[in-house]
Order: sequence, then structure tokens, then C-alpha cells
Amino acid sequence: MPVKALYEYEFPSADRAELFGDDQLVYVHWDGNPLFCSAACFRVPQAMPFGEFVAQIVAPWAGSDPDFDPAAVRDWRLFDEPLAADDIRSLHDLGIGHKALLHFSA
Amino acid sequence: MSEQATSGPQATPSPQATPSTRRQVGIDLQDAEENRALVDAIRADNPELTIRHLPGLLKLQAAGRMVINRETVEGKLGREWDTGEFQLALVSYAGNFSEWDDDQIIVSWEH
Amino acid sequence: MTQAMPRKRKLPLKERYALLTRDLDWQPSYVGKEQLYPYTSYEGIKVHDWDGWSDPFRLTVDAYYKYQAEKDKRLYAVLDSFAQSQGHLALSDASYLNAIKLFIQGVTPLEYAAHRHFAYLARYLEGPAPRFAALCQSVDELRHAQTQIHTISNYNKYYGGFHSWSKMHDRVWYLSVPKSLFDDAMSAGPFEFLISISFSFEYLLTNLLFVPFMSGASFNGDMPTMSFGFSAQSDESRHMTLGLEAIKFLLEQDEANVPIIQGWIDKWFWRAYRMSALVAGMMDYMLPKPVMSWKEAFELYFEDQMLGGLFPDLDFYGIKPPRHVGDAIAEKDHLSHQVYKILHNFSFAAAFTTSTPTEEHSRWLASQYPDTYQQLYQPVWDRHRRIEAAGGRVFFQGLPQLCQVCQIPMAFTETDDPARISFRRSDYRGETFHTCSNGCQWVFEREPEKYVQAWLPVHQIYQGHCGGPTVPDVLAWYGIQDGDNGEYQGSPDARSWADWHASNPSPAPER
Repeated sequence: MPVKALYEYEFPSADRAELFGDDQLVYVHWDGNPLFCSAACFRVPQAMPFGEFVAQIVAPWAGSDPDFDPAAVRDWRLFDEPLAADDIRSLHDLGIGHKALLHFSA
Repeated sequence: MSEQATSGPQATPSPQATPSTRRQVGIDLQDAEENRALVDAIRADNPELTIRHLPGLLKLQAAGRMVINRETVEGKLGREWDTGEFQLALVSYAGNFSEWDDDQIIVSWEH
Repeated sequence: MTQAMPRKRKLPLKERYALLTRDLDWQPSYVGKEQLYPYTSYEGIKVHDWDGWSDPFRLTVDAYYKYQAEKDKRLYAVLDSFAQSQGHLALSDASYLNAIKLFIQGVTPLEYAAHRHFAYLARYLEGPAPRFAALCQSVDELRHAQTQIHTISNYNKYYGGFHSWSKMHDRVWYLSVPKSLFDDAMSAGPFEFLISISFSFEYLLTNLLFVPFMSGASFNGDMPTMSFGFSAQSDESRHMTLGLEAIKFLLEQDEANVPIIQGWIDKWFWRAYRMSALVAGMMDYMLPKPVMSWKEAFELYFEDQMLGGLFPDLDFYGIKPPRHVGDAIAEKDHLSHQVYKILHNFSFAAAFTTSTPTEEHSRWLASQYPDTYQQLYQPVWDRHRRIEAAGGRVFFQGLPQLCQVCQIPMAFTETDDPARISFRRSDYRGETFHTCSNGCQWVFEREPEKYVQAWLPVHQIYQGHCGGPTVPDVLAWYGIQDGDNGEYQGSPDARSWADWHASNPSPAPER
């Protein structure tokens, strides 16, 4: 059902990819850890290698849990599909796009 | 448009088939000295009334209908009382104000 | 007895009301009706007879001002005695005020927004009776905003977090929840606004939103808040009546209105219910002396009174209970715990403080939530307590994923699996959008072109619109001062409170 309006109702999205240039937003959820209320949101370069993303972006956040062990991170998923995590390949090459949701377990 | 299907039909409860005369109406009043006579009058005119105390609040409930009569309130208060003054005591309610005139206020369900 | 004495009467109430709302109106002569009232047709609502509207209160101008003046007189008497008796020391505990901080930051600006929009309805609705009802409500809402600001200013002299609520309301992440809801309503047409704010918000949920705040205030020694609350609530009863009158009037006018209104009820029940989640967290976790659990209040004020009482009445018109109401019922044992978890994770970026529940409070929660608390939530709080005993305090070192519609961090779980976060995903014009629940996803997909414009605080920070890239930059831009935020234990409020209640108190310095 379209918005009822007195004029043509057409506005751009507030978070469209182009506003982030070569970067993008990525969400990361630590499955099954109720110490965190929700997934986290990060702004990262699309070209960032996955390994760097995990070490420099995800780990410092996950470290809010004093028991976090970076070596125990496993079972990456992109939305609901298993993700073949590859430290060398970029987020973009792994198909992780703007506003994608990643899951992991630890 | 959605990739993740929403769960099946909602478990929406259907309206209970309780007639309007049995469904609870309610009035919440401030628990204050100046409302004592009003509460006494409501109690007198609504024999099936239940009253629940919450901090600062009196929760009055009755099945189907609740009536407030000016004459009864005036009798308890010992002075003239306008039905409009009921607004000063009222915090909330459940039901319809099906009547509000110079002599009477009625809260009820309609259908 | 006085009842036998003849009463000096003006015209009967019915007649006075009829004169005001019928006979004082006029027909436009030099412009057409469509020019005078340009906003009452495009939503598809058909009204054949505006005189079918009647206010059960039959409020007239003289009565309105007489009773409002009396309400204000009573309230200001309480405020005076509060200031004279050092009322800021008489609370159950200073941590109680976190609930009131949430109130002035989150609710008071909504009162002002409502004041503005009811002034607009008082101009643009075609019928004189609803115009007058809207005018009274507009004045009421301004009174509410003013009395709340005035009342709560008494605490601003002594406690943190009360100073910049207006700026915060426009900027801070958790306040975008109430702000965006009202923006959504105010940017809709006049009839949708009536169903959203007057019916879904005021009639369906206002009790759940306000009465627990006020009873909580009473129970925790906060007489001024209780007084302004009940003073405002007495107006609220009139506003509820306007909401109920609006929906019945519109349903009676034309059968074609029924599906339009059902759609609005479905949307606005969920929107208002989702916002009330903040109240759920407040009720169960922020009151040192809790009054009633969220679950009990939900059952009493919503399930019994609305689903049990009101909706059978509306069934007569073909109106069904709100879509997704089953999800709300299914999560009543979980909602407050999940919401307070959010606030506890993120209070480093809030203008209030949080704390892991004490063992005593935990026992109360267990008694109120026998099916869920000890099984699911207490173990997590116990873990927080162990971490804190070792000198730590878990905050979420980052920013959360937000729901595109309600703007609350995506913390809610599947109704059939409390261990799994409920992620809903929609794609619109090639972009991904995330929502927290079936309800919010349905609202999004109904009008995606509206919700893609949402000002999501997290994404705005990442776009560089919120003062800078670091937490201190953003807090400065929010107007949050050091000590307003974080953990309650050891906070400036906690220290002042302990100091003022020590056996040899030093004179309380005003902030």
C-alpha cells in the first residue's frame, strides 16, 4: 500500500550505499551470547580483507565480554547461509554487501 | 519482497463472545481525601463494585455498567456537586461514557 | 441536606454543548469547503455528517477553564510543599530518578508535539465539535509539557541527566524511538493521526504508559511526579474519549472507512506497543520499589480492558483486534528483560544510569516472571555481577543494529525461541532493511517509501552527522555531561545521595 499523500511521494533512502563511498555498513551478531543485547553495526571499507575485519573490528567489540577468545571464533554465516570465511579475501569479494548481517559463534 | 518469511497466521485472539453486560468496565480515581465521598457514592449505587488499591490510585470495576448519580454524591459530600467535577478525580477508565449530563454519568460497553 | 435545595442552573449541559459545537459554526461564503479544509479527503475517509460527532464529556469553554484552573492549583500546592520540605531527599533512592529522566527526555517532548498537532487538527477538521475537542486537547498538551518541565526542574537542581532533554530528544539514540513514532504520526493525514495518537496511543495504551509511571512515583516517594501525572491523566481520560469517539464516528460514517481504519489500528497498535517497551524496562528494573510488573500491567490494562472489553464492542463495526497482538502477548514474559539489557549495555551513551539488579530485586523479578526469569535472564545478570565483583563492568563497545521502524536495537527474540534474536529482512529498491519483529516488518513493507527515510541514530553517527567519530564527540553533541551516563553505582547521583543521607551530612550543594 503506497503512502497516501497530496503529491508524488518519492524520497531517497537515508542510508543508501552511495552515501558511504567506498565504505559500507556491516552488522555482526555473536550467536548465543546474551551478554550482548543485539548485533553490532560497523562502518568498514568494502575492500577490507576479512581477516583484518575480524581482528581489527570484530575482536575489540567482542572483547567487551571478558571471556572472549579470538581463537574460538567459528561458524561464520552471512544472513542465514554458511560463509566460507577467508582471511585474505575482501568483504566485497566474499559477497558481504552494504547492510549485510554476519553471524558467528564462539 | 521479504526473503525471510514471517511466521504463519497470527495467533490473534478473537473477541470474547461475552455480552456487553458482563464485560468489566472500570474507573481509576486518585486516592485522595477529596474523593472519599465520591467513592462512597459510587459504591452505594453500584452494589457489585470491586475496588483495588494501587499506590496513589483506586481501581473501581464492575460488570457491564457503572453509574455515578449527582444526588448520591451530594448526599455523601453534604454540598452541591457538578458532574463536571468528576473530571478532577478521574485518572483513567475502561468503557464508554454512554451518558454524561447534569444528573448522571454512566460508563458501559455498548455492543 | 443540600440536595433538597433548588439548584441555580445555567442552561442544561446538553444544551450548552449543542450551542457551542453546532450553533457557533458557520458556512464559508467566499471560499469553497475544499479550500478551507484541504486535508480531509486524500486519505480516502468518507464523512457524510460531521454533526454525528459528539463529545461525551460535553465540555464547554467555561467548564474547561474552571476545571483546568483547579487542577493546576492542586498541582502547584504540591510543588510548593515539595520544595519547602526538601522533597528531593525523600525518595526511595536516587536511582529512582532514572525513570524520571527517561520521562522528561522521552515523553515531555511528545506532549509538546501533541500540542502542536492538535492545534493543527483544531484548525483543519471540518466539524466544529471535533475542532473544539482538538483545541482543548492542544491546550491540555501544552499544560502537560509545562507542568512536567516545571515539576521536574526541582530535581535538576540536585541530580544529573535533567538538563538538556529537549536537545537530547532530537539527537540521542534511545529517544529517536519516541520521536520517530510521533514524526510518523504527524506526517500522516489528519484521520490517521487521530487513529494513531488519539486511539492507539491514548485509548489503547496510555494506561500502560502513564499509570505505572505515576503509581511508581507515588510508591517511591516522588509526590510531585505523581501529582503532575494524575493531573495530566485526568485530561488523558478526555483524550481517550476523543480517540474512542473518533474511531466510532469514522466507522459509523461509511462502511468504506472500515478497512482503512483496520489498517491503521494494525499499524499503530504495533508502533505504540513497541515504543512502550521502554516503559516495560523502566517498570521492572528502574524502580527501587517496584509497583507492578510489566506483565501484570499488560494483562490488566491491555488484555483485560482492551481485548476483553473494547474489542468486542468494536467487533460490532467489523473491527478485529490488532494484527500482531498475538506476538505482543507471546513476549510479555520477555520484553522488559530484553529492553533493560539494551539500556544496561548502552548507558555509557545515555543521560541516565543503569545497574545490574540487586539480589533482592532479582527475587522480585523471579516472583513476577516464574516461567522465564530464573531460566533465561537471571543467569546473565549473575554473570554481570561476577564480572563487576572482579572490578569490571560490561558495556557494549560499539554501536547496535537498529530496527528500521521502531529504531530500538534489534534485541527482541523469536516468540517461539527466546534464545534466538528475531531478525527480519526486507529488500526495497535494491537495498536491505532490517526489522526486529513480524510487526515492524509488516509496518515497513506496507509503506517502505516512508520508512527508508528513517533517521537511524547509529547510521547517522557513521555518516558523520553527530559531532564526530568518537564516543566523547557524540556524547558532547548529544548534550550528555560526564556523570549523567554509565553505571549508577559510584555515579555522582549515588555519591550525593549517600552524602546527603550520611549521619553528619555536609550541606547539599546545588548543582
